[in-house]
Amino acid sequence: MKRRSIFAATATAAAAALLISACSSSSGSSGSSTTTPTSTTGTAAFNAGITSVVNPSTHKGGTLTYEVRGTPDSFDPGNTYYAWVLDFDHLYTMPLFGYKSCPGSCGLQLVPDLATNMGTTSANGLTYTVQIQPDVKFENGTVVTSQDVKYAIERTYDRSVLANGPTYYQALLTDPTYPGPYKDRAKNLMGLTAIDTPNATTLVFHLQAPFPDLPYVLAFPNTAPVLPSADTGSNYQLHPLSTGPYMFKSYTLNKQLILVPNPNWNASTDPNAEQLASEIVVNLNINQADLDNNLIAGNADIDAYGAGVGPAAQARILSTPSLKADADNPINGFARFVYLDTKVAPLTNLHCREAIEYAANKTTMQTAWGGPVAGGAIASTIMPPVIVGYKSFDYYNALSQPNGDLSAAKAQLAACGQPNGFTTAMAYRSDNPQETAEATALQASLAAVGIKLTLKGFPSGPYYTNFAGDPAYMSSHNIGLAGGGWGADWPDGYGFLDELLNGNAIAPTGNTNISMENDPVINNLFTKSSTLSGAARTAVWAQIDEQAMKDAVILPAVYQKTLLYRNPATTNVYVQTYYGMYNYAVMGVNS
Amino acid sequence: MIYFIIRRLIMTVFLLLLVSMITFAIFFLVPRLAGQTAYQLAAQYVGRNPIPSEIKAVEIKLGLNAPLYLQYGRYVKGIVVGIHYNNGTDVSYCPFPCFGYSFRNDQPVWPQLISDAPVTLSIAVGAAVLWLLGGVSIGVLSALRRGSFFDRLSMGIALAGVSLPVFFTGLIALELFSYKWSIFPNVHYVGITSNPLLWARNLVLPWITLAFLYAALYARLTRAGMLETMGEDYIRTARAKGLAERKVVIKHGLRAALTPIVTIFGLDLGLLLGGAILTETTYSFPGLGQFTILAIQNQDLPEIMGVVMIASFFIVIANMVVDILYAVVDPRVRF
Repeated sequence: MKRRSIFAATATAAAAALLISACSSSSGSSGSSTTTPTSTTGTAAFNAGITSVVNPSTHKGGTLTYEVRGTPDSFDPGNTYYAWVLDFDHLYTMPLFGYKSCPGSCGLQLVPDLATNMGTTSANGLTYTVQIQPDVKFENGTVVTSQDVKYAIERTYDRSVLANGPTYYQALLTDPTYPGPYKDRAKNLMGLTAIDTPNATTLVFHLQAPFPDLPYVLAFPNTAPVLPSADTGSNYQLHPLSTGPYMFKSYTLNKQLILVPNPNWNASTDPNAEQLASEIVVNLNINQADLDNNLIAGNADIDAYGAGVGPAAQARILSTPSLKADADNPINGFARFVYLDTKVAPLTNLHCREAIEYAANKTTMQTAWGGPVAGGAIASTIMPPVIVGYKSFDYYNALSQPNGDLSAAKAQLAACGQPNGFTTAMAYRSDNPQETAEATALQASLAAVGIKLTLKGFPSGPYYTNFAGDPAYMSSHNIGLAGGGWGADWPDGYGFLDELLNGNAIAPTGNTNISMENDPVINNLFTKSSTLSGAARTAVWAQIDEQAMKDAVILPAVYQKTLLYRNPATTNVYVQTYYGMYNYAVMGVNS
Repeated sequence: MIYFIIRRLIMTVFLLLLVSMITFAIFFLVPRLAGQTAYQLAAQYVGRNPIPSEIKAVEIKLGLNAPLYLQYGRYVKGIVVGIHYNNGTDVSYCPFPCFGYSFRNDQPVWPQLISDAPVTLSIAVGAAVLWLLGGVSIGVLSALRRGSFFDRLSMGIALAGVSLPVFFTGLIALELFSYKWSIFPNVHYVGITSNPLLWARNLVLPWITLAFLYAALYARLTRAGMLETMGEDYIRTARAKGLAERKVVIKHGLRAALTPIVTIFGLDLGLLLGGAILTETTYSFPGLGQFTILAIQNQDLPEIMGVVMIASFFIVIANMVVDILYAVVDPRVRF
């Protein structure tokens, strides 16, 4: 698998929205929350949008206004990795697969979008075949073919033109050195040998090695078809040719996008999207305080960035019942935790690591991340509840004794031969105020059992390349702990755990397995998972999570949460669990 | 006068060339002297987890592999005659004055600057009119009524205006006049050509916010200048000649006090035209100020250079206009 550590693990609180994340149906702040069954419709109430559709309606017309505090990395579906853009893209693209449009755990289900089925894998796992719908059209009326999908994937290979998107194809498919269609004009733009298109509706993928999670990769919008003759390279972001319910009317770079209904979109081919509003306006680069006020005043409908309202609006919403009824506070699939490096003495000893697990005051760590609403729910596992395969357990009393279990910690210190505690250091990102506060909080709580923690702050930029992600640096500087966070590119245990805990992921630089976990039990479970499917495969993720927690290689802090606000005028509003933000593909507005 | 203007325009070109050299050196030469390679610079613009060949391709695409003098030459050439660039499928032409090609947005910088400039121009010019009229008027009245209640009140407000930052007064203005009382609801930028009335209505709060800051400063400066001028011998002479007080104040007093005001006004307006950063950010107006912030956040060097050049241009031109105005304000000045 292509390493994507820097993307996920270096995300700061603001960049958390870059991650593909998911949310839980949990309404409490407890870390033991689990996904719950989904109800189909609901009236406006706090957290109603997590488990139900708020204001269900088929009303057509009106202008739906989104505002965003930043700018997109790109509206080109082949050149984006921002979570809100991946969500938003469904308004004008149809990738091969998508996540079922429904609230709650139902939204984690991968379903065909442009494809007609979930595809078939050959007996040796090296060939994957999928068919696409024969009657989907681009906005200009041209019928989509399998070659348009192949071309869309091909163009992501040229990162000198499209730099931002995920890079899984080069790692998973054969022909990894394919230069991309812009340097391949002579081959009729179809030079990638890793994908065959035997007819207009069939795609055959050739893999380097079996990879059961390939459909998740094919759910990125970079599989949305691109008509080669309409490709304008780096200018394609200004007007991607739509296959979804809406198409670009105008786009002023980084300022405003206006979408209008696509006349060639057929609802029967795209059950995961709706065409309700007569116009969609996206105002970009809006000051967060201004944006929040616009939402509350009804000048805007939804904050498309999806990272939650600012502190001032948060206080106002939570203290005003009428506003709170229009808010949701989902877990978004991003986890905050502290790595415990198993190669740095005395953390080479399991009991010393367990002492830290017990002694840590999870409440103060939660406060450091912003409290139970804006920070997150106290975590007792590595995987958040919204990941497929999550299982609730609490080996170190994080939930039952969130302020720390000091007696258990002292017992573990005695067992590791350090009854009076020990000295170690913790790396953290000094330009991240919340992580800095977390380090300080942890330092204070560990001091209660005699563990002296020296704090070493580093800049975010080279944090994972030169410091925390450099095992030699960690060892030579006796840094046993490192602050971190993680969000998966797709919501199953493999997507979340592989880079964190697989012994194969240990690398001399840019290391994401910062705990240096190389447990044969876990490694074997990862290997075994590639031969399994369905429930048996899903069960493996909880086993890995449990084993890693038994090994005490990660100290969980919080399952991150955000406070989202929905304008009461919006219809069909709910949190799409996979994204951890509202499903933009189905919303409408009561004009 | 004509020769003066021509001379100044020629100097402006050289000055901008100098600014471009210094800016280019800061962003491209200094990091290289500190050990950064072109490869490392290119790595910042390849997205996540790039492999070496991808970084190399970006290095070549952005022209970072060429010697620095060549890169600078290409930059200047782009400004003077335009430049061709590869967008993947095609080779596009970025015409004069092409201020480079954004490393992040994959788009030429100049069209973005041009689309943002009217927003900043709208804010800056409107606010400038307000603060100049308001500030000078209050300053004159305060000076004429020195020690009065009006003087103390206006100078007190002026002190507050100078002290309170735009992001504070702007947010307060928005909260009160937009969200609470809905006098100016849903403030956002609307182009003057699409709806002049809405353009003006939505600009009232940014104008007042910005003018409050500057008017305060100008009121204090005008007051000080007037107090000094009104004590001069020639004022006493004018009064002794029997001139009307209004004529004494406006023609003899204010005119002399205006010279330093005009100087500062030129600098302030020039600076603002390069981007009213705080005002634009507070009100989410997509002008050059927001463009600058975004460029810095993205470490988009060509965009930062572009906005520096534009800001320098406005400051130089504003200074030239001020120099010309000297002759109008002060009859002793001749070109």
